[in-house]
Amino acid sequence: MDSPPDSLSQALQPWKVSPPVQGAFRADVWKRIGDRTRETWGVYVRAHAAAWLVAATVVIGAAAYTGHATAQARVRADREALAVTYLVDLDPRVQAELRP
Amino acid sequence: MKYLLATLGLLVAAAGATGIACYLLGSEPGLHAAARKGDPMAWLRTDFHLDDRQFAAIRQLHDGYAGACDEHCRRIQEATRQRRALSSGGADPAALQAADRRLTELREICETAIARHVRQVAAIMSPEDGRRYLAIVLPKIAHFDHTAAPDLHLEHST
Repeated sequence: MDSPPDSLSQALQPWKVSPPVQGAFRADVWKRIGDRTRETWGVYVRAHAAAWLVAATVVIGAAAYTGHATAQARVRADREALAVTYLVDLDPRVQAELRP
Repeated sequence: MKYLLATLGLLVAAAGATGIACYLLGSEPGLHAAARKGDPMAWLRTDFHLDDRQFAAIRQLHDGYAGACDEHCRRIQEATRQRRALSSGGADPAALQAADRRLTELREICETAIARHVRQVAAIMSPEDGRRYLAIVLPKIAHFDHTAAPDLHLEHST
């Protein structure tokens, strides 16, 4: 049993779509995918927040301690040197040895 | 990778800045300036927080003590020369012992005089600074070793 001819099919048969050619279509698609997946600095840091927090605490703490300890060592050394200079001038026992 | 390096760089910069800030906060510019100039009076003034009146009083005390210091120094040098002369001249042991005792006495007199002087200086300072000053100078006075050249701590170097 043959079906009656479909008028719609017949009407569509000669119809052809001619979309405009996009030369960079593929590249554009990959670019958009890349844009979506690309990481920002903030995203990176947030993703590794715990590790960087520990590293920052240790490194900055060590730097603070080193800076303070270096300053204190210099203060002690200068104070010591000045105390000696002071007493050399003041102590006759030292003067007796230093003077000709 | 570039974020790793950038974060690392930022951390190093922050650590450097923190270290420098802590160094500067822990430094004492007045003390370092006095050390650069080798000026003990500037040290007293800055390290022991002397006001003008205290500084003038201590300077006056030091000037007054200088004469006594010279006299003590002269006596010790004279006694040392006599001791050396006796030693090189082959004097008897009793005379040498007497010369040694004389030197020891003179050094003890000196130590007492200088300790008294620094206590007078400390009394001019505020109680807390005075205590700190005495804690620095008194041990050096007590530990002075006349038989060795004074080292940086004015203590035994042998």
